[in-house]
Amino acid sequence: MNALEKYNQVIMECFGISDESALANLEYQGIPEWDSVGHMDLIAELEDKFDIMMDTDDIIDFSSYEKGKEILKKYSIDM
Amino acid sequence: MDQKIMGIPEIKQCQENRYPCLFVDRIIEVDPGETARGYKNFTYNEWFFPAHFEDEPSVPGFVQVECLVQVFIMTFLSMPEYQGKKTNFAAIDHVKFRYKIEPGDRLDIVAKLVSLKRGIAKGFAESFVDGKPACSAEFVVTIPDVFDQYRPQK
Repeated sequence: MNALEKYNQVIMECFGISDESALANLEYQGIPEWDSVGHMDLIAELEDKFDIMMDTDDIIDFSSYEKGKEILKKYSIDM
Repeated sequence: MDQKIMGIPEIKQCQENRYPCLFVDRIIEVDPGETARGYKNFTYNEWFFPAHFEDEPSVPGFVQVECLVQVFIMTFLSMPEYQGKKTNFAAIDHVKFRYKIEPGDRLDIVAKLVSLKRGIAKGFAESFVDGKPACSAEFVVTIPDVFDQYRPQK
């Protein structure tokens, strides 16, 4: 499984999404599951899956699926 | 485990619940960041017994859950960096009610903190009356002072 597949899997499992085509437009508070608690669960899962520890600023900036991909590049996770 | 007894004054230093919503009388053991054990005595003078129910008083489910979570939050509010912080429910799961708690009963509660990260505490509590299982639940509780620092700005 490559990094993008892993990223997609984490988000889909965290938020109970079955349709991968829905991911591109996904953003914080865009769906009920991505609330503040869901956000922290997502961050914790990504940190576990990619074995990273994200900075506070990056956690705050992680406001959408696409933004998340940009941020993970800083941690050498290329998608 | 630290053998530490907390009465009402010490409990009130840790958490902000107050009468008539303080539902733990004593903490008899606490290992900060790990576990807490305490109890709540029920007297007929509780405000809810005459209403629940007039002919057959018993402790309402929401009160039982509140008793459990107030011991649960002591697992981390007993830590110096979190003492006195407000907390919010984020989730309550797998709640079970197994015993009709009546005036005169003492609810013994054991709580375990499973994880605490970035202001989100996850864990569970179980309770007993005379050794018989009463109420149990799993909790996700946030510490807004910490948790809010990580919210995305929208």
